[in-house]
Amino acid sequence: MRSAAGIGLRAPHMAAFERQRPATGFLEIHAENYLVHSPLLAKVEGLRADYAFSIHAVGLSLGSVDGLDESHLARLARLVKRLQPELLSDHVSWSIVGGHYLNDLLPLPYTEEALEVVVRNVGRLQEKLRRQVSVENPACYLRFSHSTMSEPEFLGEVARRSGCGLLLDVNNIHVSAHNLRLDPQAWLAGLPGEAITEYHLAGHAVNDADGEPILIDDHGSRVSAAVWALFADVLQHFGPRPTVVEWDTDIPALSVLLGEAAQADRVLAQREVSDGVRAA
Amino acid sequence: MAFALRELQSVFVAHLVDGERPELIAAVAGDSIPAAARLRVHRHHLFDSLAIALAATFPTVQRVVGEDFFRKFARLFVAANLPVQPVLSEYGANFAAFVELNESVHALPYLADVARLDWALNVAFHTADVSRLEPAELEGLSMGALAAAPLPFVPGTTLLHSAHPLDRIWAASQPAATEGVILDGNGARLLVFRSGEDASFLALGESEGVFAAALIEEKTLEQATESALCADPAFDLPKVFTRLLAAKLFAATQHK
Repeated sequence: MRSAAGIGLRAPHMAAFERQRPATGFLEIHAENYLVHSPLLAKVEGLRADYAFSIHAVGLSLGSVDGLDESHLARLARLVKRLQPELLSDHVSWSIVGGHYLNDLLPLPYTEEALEVVVRNVGRLQEKLRRQVSVENPACYLRFSHSTMSEPEFLGEVARRSGCGLLLDVNNIHVSAHNLRLDPQAWLAGLPGEAITEYHLAGHAVNDADGEPILIDDHGSRVSAAVWALFADVLQHFGPRPTVVEWDTDIPALSVLLGEAAQADRVLAQREVSDGVRAA
Repeated sequence: MAFALRELQSVFVAHLVDGERPELIAAVAGDSIPAAARLRVHRHHLFDSLAIALAATFPTVQRVVGEDFFRKFARLFVAANLPVQPVLSEYGANFAAFVELNESVHALPYLADVARLDWALNVAFHTADVSRLEPAELEGLSMGALAAAPLPFVPGTTLLHSAHPLDRIWAASQPAATEGVILDGNGARLLVFRSGEDASFLALGESEGVFAAALIEEKTLEQATESALCADPAFDLPKVFTRLLAAKLFAATQHK
């Protein structure tokens, strides 16, 4: 798939897509919004002929000790079969325990035990869907003292052992680095670039945590200047990939979102030009 | 303390929902931002995001009670009823029962029925659409064949019976509404169904409600008409049948 920038397709923009078919690299949808029949699913199917698609799941809970929910997995498999997306992903996190779904991408300790759980679950997912999936680095607000690996080491091992790809969320790198006092450059240096299949960009909020600023991955604003700069660094490290701009709260006019994607396209194109110059 | 992953995840959910677990706080690295404050980010997200999901499914309830009250009330529901799976349009099946059980919190005797209406609209919206029965399909059918035919409504259809004027409460709570509603003691029977690209409802009279209930129970047209006539000898079959047919409430016969 071409390393163009696309957007997360959200319900308020559906009518504009149906009417105008605006140009964008590709469309990414959240799987869980399309697992039941609704007029929205029919609309997405109607767009399929004109756009490349990515299905981004948020609810598989790849870090759950109890394994994947097979009925949820079966529903996802049906959606994948219907839409035949070019890209497919979920997160390195957990959200289900004891039959409760917590609607959050909760942090894992980066231990051998957690690694085996994620690898097993990603393996089951890829086996069921009979294709490679990618897993995304989460936005972190805390880390566990008993972690034995860094996050890049953990992600790299998940990719190596399961054969999955990595979806690099650049905003999440920035958010986690700030919240956990990490050096984003060192973080990038620890990652196996060949496993990366896709990038995400989004805005974040700054909240107060007992008097200290904490960054929240709320997908509710423009991509920050710091994240654009980090995106350029990411491209320098790993090269261009398909890139999605996500916006989920305080969703703006479609033109604003497409403008952010156009900016991402410009950064991707600059990288391709300079790569080309270097190759020549 | 190094938790096994299963134990860590169980303590994590307990910490978010039931209150602080010191052993979890001790397992989280703290610095200038204390561990408890870091964990609070996840607690806020859990409750806020699920309250927002409930507001999307129960928009009329939120409009009736206001956004602030709805958020607080939804948090009570979330604490006692975490989702069991990740499709949030399926979350809240027991919200109306919770609203009914907690009437002392909101003091609105009709609010549970408003929640039932929102849920029925949500179910109808999220049901796969099917072809509708067209009047042409009935042409050439003998009266006898028609009377004996089961006439299923489109999938996702719900009949609601409320002691309150639910249709007027719904209308008065729409963003463009200009008039309030007088709670005059009249109830309502609403047939909620998938209509085009949305979900909608029809208000029925008493005997019409009996008729619709019989069709939902897969009675034939003849049996449903008998039940309705029992409830009210003035039941007007052609009138209600035409109305239901025009609203495209019947599934096409090939979907029987």
